[in-house]
Amino acid sequence: MASIALGGLFKSYGATPVVRGLSLDVREGELVSLLGPSGCGKTTTLRMLAGLEHPDSGVIRIGGETVTGPGVRVPPERRGLGMVFQSYAVWPHRSVEENVAYPLTLRRLAKAEVASRVKEALRWVRLEALATRRPHELSGGQLQRVALARALVASPRVLLLDEPLSNLDAALREELRAEIAALRARLGTTMVFVTHDQGEALALSDRIAVMNQGVIEQVDAPERLYREPATPFVAGFVGGANVLVGQVRDGAFHTAQGDTRFPLPPGTAAPDGPCTLVVRPEDLELGAEGTPLPLSARLFLGHAAEYRFPVGGTLLRVVGPPREVRAGEVLPVRIAKAKLFATG
Amino acid sequence: MKAASARWLGLGAWLVPILFFAVGPVGALLLRGTGAHGDAGLAWLASETGALGNTLGISAGAAALAFLLGAPLSLLLFRTDLPLRGAFTVLFTLPSAIPAFIWGMGWLSLASPRAGYLNRLLGDGAFDIYGPAGIAFVEGLSGLPLVLLAGAAALRRVDPALEEAARVCGASPLRALLTTTLPLALPSLLSGTVMVFLMAASSFGVPYLLGVSASPPTRVLTTRIYELVLLGGDAGLARASVLATALLLLTPLALLATWALGRSGRVRLSAGKGVASRLLPLGRARGSALVAVGLTCVLLVLLPLGAILLTSMQRSFGAELAWRELTLAHWSGVLLEPRTLRATGRSLLLAAGAGGLVCVLGLAAAVLQRSFRRLGAGVEALAVWPYAVPGTVVALALLLAFSRDLRFILLGRAAFVLALAHTPWLLLIAYAAKYLALGARNSAEALAQIDPSLAEAARVSGAGPVRAFVDAPLPLLRPALTVAFVLAFLACATEITMSVLLVPAGSEVLGTLLFELQSYADPAAAAVLACAFVALVVVGQSVLALVGRRTVEVR
Ligand SMILES: Nc1ncnc2c1ncn2[C@@H]1O[C@H](COP(=O)(O)OP(=O)(O)O)[C@@H](O)[C@H]1O
Ligand SMILES: [Mg+2]
Repeated sequence: MASIALGGLFKSYGATPVVRGLSLDVREGELVSLLGPSGCGKTTTLRMLAGLEHPDSGVIRIGGETVTGPGVRVPPERRGLGMVFQSYAVWPHRSVEENVAYPLTLRRLAKAEVASRVKEALRWVRLEALATRRPHELSGGQLQRVALARALVASPRVLLLDEPLSNLDAALREELRAEIAALRARLGTTMVFVTHDQGEALALSDRIAVMNQGVIEQVDAPERLYREPATPFVAGFVGGANVLVGQVRDGAFHTAQGDTRFPLPPGTAAPDGPCTLVVRPEDLELGAEGTPLPLSARLFLGHAAEYRFPVGGTLLRVVGPPREVRAGEVLPVRIAKAKLFATG
Repeated sequence: MKAASARWLGLGAWLVPILFFAVGPVGALLLRGTGAHGDAGLAWLASETGALGNTLGISAGAAALAFLLGAPLSLLLFRTDLPLRGAFTVLFTLPSAIPAFIWGMGWLSLASPRAGYLNRLLGDGAFDIYGPAGIAFVEGLSGLPLVLLAGAAALRRVDPALEEAARVCGASPLRALLTTTLPLALPSLLSGTVMVFLMAASSFGVPYLLGVSASPPTRVLTTRIYELVLLGGDAGLARASVLATALLLLTPLALLATWALGRSGRVRLSAGKGVASRLLPLGRARGSALVAVGLTCVLLVLLPLGAILLTSMQRSFGAELAWRELTLAHWSGVLLEPRTLRATGRSLLLAAGAGGLVCVLGLAAAVLQRSFRRLGAGVEALAVWPYAVPGTVVALALLLAFSRDLRFILLGRAAFVLALAHTPWLLLIAYAAKYLALGARNSAEALAQIDPSLAEAARVSGAGPVRAFVDAPLPLLRPALTVAFVLAFLACATEITMSVLLVPAGSEVLGTLLFELQSYADPAAAAVLACAFVALVVVGQSVLALVGRRTVEVR
């Protein structure tokens, strides 16, 4: 177990900046997720933490020891980490137990000790029965478990996981997610978990760092992140909120594109000027005295229905009780609750 | 910082032998060839247009033959339900595994004007294998596998959905094959054909065998270079370098053509590997197709080899064909002769050494290629390029570059002297340089299949960079390296073109022994040696087949 501190990391490939001034602290025993859309630099950040990439500038400390910094470059093998790769990276020429034993053999442990620890690690991931199998005989979920056992067997200070669930089907994903949570409860290892799936992040993490284009927009506990997004991006990505760009005039919001007018509910803090409007689908109502909008589609969700309206260059999503309406009908849409972020 | 400088150090260590023993000598030859004045200049080249014309004509003929045979054959072998197509594929790829010189010997036994078996069976003078047409014929046949294999690769990569779309639109299976798949595979087939052209232009053994003693003699660039080198003297060598330069200039042109064809072809092929496409049922034509392909195979592959075997057992070539005339005397004579044994020992040693160098330097090239993103392409080009340079040119370049001892002066004193002239080391260098591409290509392809995270997982597990490489990707590269070693070994053990120019007096290798026996002394003895070559190749290819099966099992 160890804490982690990332300070002012910059990394570019050629002329393309990928990570742009990223700082993050992870406490001992904490599980922090790096959440963000594909290509925002999550993997790159994790690889810098593992020592597989070197940042252009910035400092990385693990357990108080500087492992990356000006003139410091501790190689991956001396960082005392475990890592689960998105592609599993289970060695095809070694059996399951040989894969798991590898980190221990490098540490020159006695044979008996290696055997007992491999056995224990395989029990953690419920693979005891497959110890002598070869990787090509295993399913994706089993391979991912081998990778997990191999990453944990040498009691790493920190466990890094790069989208460990995204190559699995929905049912397996659910199962393995629960297993990771259980392992964490048992071992208490500090973990950094990379994912692009907000459901995964919300369910697993102590705290979530939401990344966008190489920077962290907000770090908070899941509930707080959901309730109080600090930026329109976080609101859109984590809460699935509608995000509209425009300006406030006379207590109403006007979209920048098309100048559609939405009266704001009383009590909304809304000084006049350019701003971004963030409103959850549940906080919009198909009421009587709203802005009339043409319905483009209606999706039945079971307990409710989602209605979509083309507005301001995007699709406005409204979730409410199922109603008999058709595409093309004009329905009044009213904002019940919204948040405004001043821009410019 | 440390990892970065280790990378550069590795690049430097790899570049030294490559630049010193391959790029440098060929570059010097090129300078010498283009800068030649006096009687060896361009004016003199004009008097050699015959050889240049012959080279171009023969190579074009060989390429055309290989394409006309190879395109329909590859469709039949790889896209139809032709019976025995696996066996036919093996037999039809044999010609490129066995040196062209041996096919030349086979056709000489069959179709030399008076004594050839075919001429004796069908009446005097029905065939004459001597001259440009005969050379082009033999070169075309021995290049056939290049077209076949290019076709096989492309036909396997054409997305079967394209053909199925044509079927849904109403095309018959045959029509769908001919109007969809064939045009898509055409660029690959044509690039294989360009390779045949290049191979024929750089070939030395066949034009020597079938051209020099033809009447009138057919001279090509490679045989002229050989004659000029034998002639010796500064003038001869200068003229030889002018011809070598001309020959060398064919390579970039042909490679450019292949590259352009490959580029236009790649766009439309599916990126995925081996999508199993449905085979075209031949239906009632199956029987006649089998007969046609079978006869072609017997005539073009089995007959020449049979003729060599027969020649090896005849008391003397040209004698009456009868059972009682058959003898094994040549076999015991040739195989037990100390001269043969010494040449065999030398060849095997050289081939094993060159094979090892090819694997080590090729693997290093592949690793460097991967760790330097941009420079990687340059490393690959340096490693692969000598393969495309005609053997005659490589040999001449080394001959000229190392004809004198090189003294390395360090701190004002002669640190060491590199005396390579007239030593087997030059052969080793030539073999390794020429076939480095086999090691580089095989390793690079295998390495590209291996996810870099396998090595990274080893690093994170606690292994240093070297240990991680040895533990993770290297075991997975072993099959590819074995293939590279066996291919390089076979090529070097049976090499003739470079060997005849570089072999030191009095220490023959197998290739030069075969060349000597066939050209000057004893066709029957040569035939025995040729049979031994074929046996060696068959053994080597079987090893490769086994390696191939094992890799399939690992996956
Ligand atoms: N080795 C590399 N060379 C060049 N560009 C890279 C490399 N690795 C990643 N990138 C680029 O950096 C960006 C971020 O990549 P990555 O960290 O893998 O994103 P994520 O894991 O969030 O999907 C992407 O646009 C990707 O194309
Ligand atoms: Mg990623």
